[in-house]
Amino acid sequence: MDYMDKSIDEIRKALDNNEITSEKLFKEANALAHKYQEEYNCFVTILDEKEEDTSNKTILSGIPYGLKDNFSTKGILTTASSNILKDYVPVYDATVYKKLKQAGAVLVGKTVLDELAMGGTGTTAHTGIVRNPWDKTRMIGGSSAGSAAAVALGIVPFAIGSDTGDSVRKPAAFGGVVGFKPTYGRISRYGLFAFASSLDHVGYFTRNVKDAAYITDILKGQDELDMTSLPDDGKKYVDTIDNEIKGRKLFYIKEAVDLENYKDNDDPELKETLKKFYETIELCKQIGFEVEGVSIDRKLLNALYPSYIAISCAEATSNNANLTGIPFGSRGDGKSIEEIMFNARTNGFSELVKRRFVLGSLILQKENQEKLFLNAGRVRRMIVDKMNKLFEKYDGLIMPTSGGVAPKFGDKTDRLSDRYLILENHLVIGNFGGFPSISIPSGFVNGLPISINITGRVFEDDVVLNMAYKIEEKLNYKNQIAKGVK
Amino acid sequence: MISKEKLKDYASKLMFDMEDSEYETLQSEFEIILKQMDLIGQIEGISEVEPMTFPYVIYHAKLRDDVVKDELTKEEVLYNAKQVKNEQVMVPKVVE
Repeated sequence: MDYMDKSIDEIRKALDNNEITSEKLFKEANALAHKYQEEYNCFVTILDEKEEDTSNKTILSGIPYGLKDNFSTKGILTTASSNILKDYVPVYDATVYKKLKQAGAVLVGKTVLDELAMGGTGTTAHTGIVRNPWDKTRMIGGSSAGSAAAVALGIVPFAIGSDTGDSVRKPAAFGGVVGFKPTYGRISRYGLFAFASSLDHVGYFTRNVKDAAYITDILKGQDELDMTSLPDDGKKYVDTIDNEIKGRKLFYIKEAVDLENYKDNDDPELKETLKKFYETIELCKQIGFEVEGVSIDRKLLNALYPSYIAISCAEATSNNANLTGIPFGSRGDGKSIEEIMFNARTNGFSELVKRRFVLGSLILQKENQEKLFLNAGRVRRMIVDKMNKLFEKYDGLIMPTSGGVAPKFGDKTDRLSDRYLILENHLVIGNFGGFPSISIPSGFVNGLPISINITGRVFEDDVVLNMAYKIEEKLNYKNQIAKGVK
Repeated sequence: MISKEKLKDYASKLMFDMEDSEYETLQSEFEIILKQMDLIGQIEGISEVEPMTFPYVIYHAKLRDDVVKDELTKEEVLYNAKQVKNEQVMVPKVVE
């Protein structure tokens, strides 16, 4: 019998009843990882030797998982999918990895990402593109591409990613799985390679909401190695996941889900996605939620994505200044330290990453700071204040995770369109304010998965998980793996 | 349009170079991004807002005591350096 496409509860039960051993589970996951590697490219490194800490018995003991290749793993190659780190072997563990190890979870491999987590396509890793398990001609999205694909393929029941703009929630949507990013600071970022520190979150992929709660319960807590980590709230999120939700209030942003607001409103995919969204809203009402549409200034909504780009590129430019190829990383040739660094960085970064760095540099130039960098921070405050105001009345924001299905490789996007600026990029609100945010599968358009996203008040991860669990229960898309894979 | 020279200067400040064709892609990308940035300027009252640098006000942040622990060994620190000599990272002579 196969187990890797099962839920954590089902695998736990099989382990506890001695129907299966963790050795056999690891072998199954390892075999699947190898089987799908050439076709989908989920992993940078597949572990062929099982490592396991048996000192603690937890819900995750003996259960295999994947870890994005931008988390430090002592003694295991960690490349961030970049040529400049292609041989880098960390000498310390990220707190997330350490906690999972202590919980007995078993690492299957390090997953492919967009280089340095700076992308949303899964096409910029130094080891090649990641393909969508539902349709190989399409992207899975990024940056946590390999983790999303590994869970969607049923290689592992869960995989860890990181989310700076939407890097867990968007690929989860395109892969037909659950993607959760808890409150900023809920989980330590120690050992996660920084992209944009004020926006970076740890997140993960599962095939149902309850599994996401199990993982949060294991990973949360204050870490003295990350001064931004939150003190533990003492709650066990899995215990309140089935709480009554009658009377809970959700809102959606009217302007963003009104077809008439989009130039390409005759696009059948967009039409169908929005139609399905309204069906989900009706379903939420049926199970006891109150749901209302709320207006937010479109100028502010249109400014979300450019503000995200300004803040994230500026922070990334600074964070990645440590990649010189001298104390670690691929070294360049040269007659001076400067030449060595220059060549290491010229040869070590791909074009896309360099473009983002140059953009960050432009934004930080003295003459541009006011118009570009500081204005972006002002937009950030305006939208976060607006959200917090709305959260006084509502328990959560519900939105389509994306305006359509996973794009095909090579698809062109109009990056000045309202659809792109708002519908494809509203998830950054969750990063701007550090709000807990989850995407869950909500159906299909043209045979490909679509998804809804629920974002809640900061620190109220339990409420977000509870609301998502209740909606998931009615939607009936839980525990799915990509059709045709099995 | 931003000149190629200016972009080359930004890149060199960041200690890397790009292919000529890549600068051209960057130029057209910048046009879009700067147009997107113009959207920000259209928001009413934006100049009166205090820029936000962090998701929320942190009350819990506490600096730990400055106590040495879990330090890396010299071997660990040097483990990923490509050239090492006398327990130090080797680089070309700085003073000729």
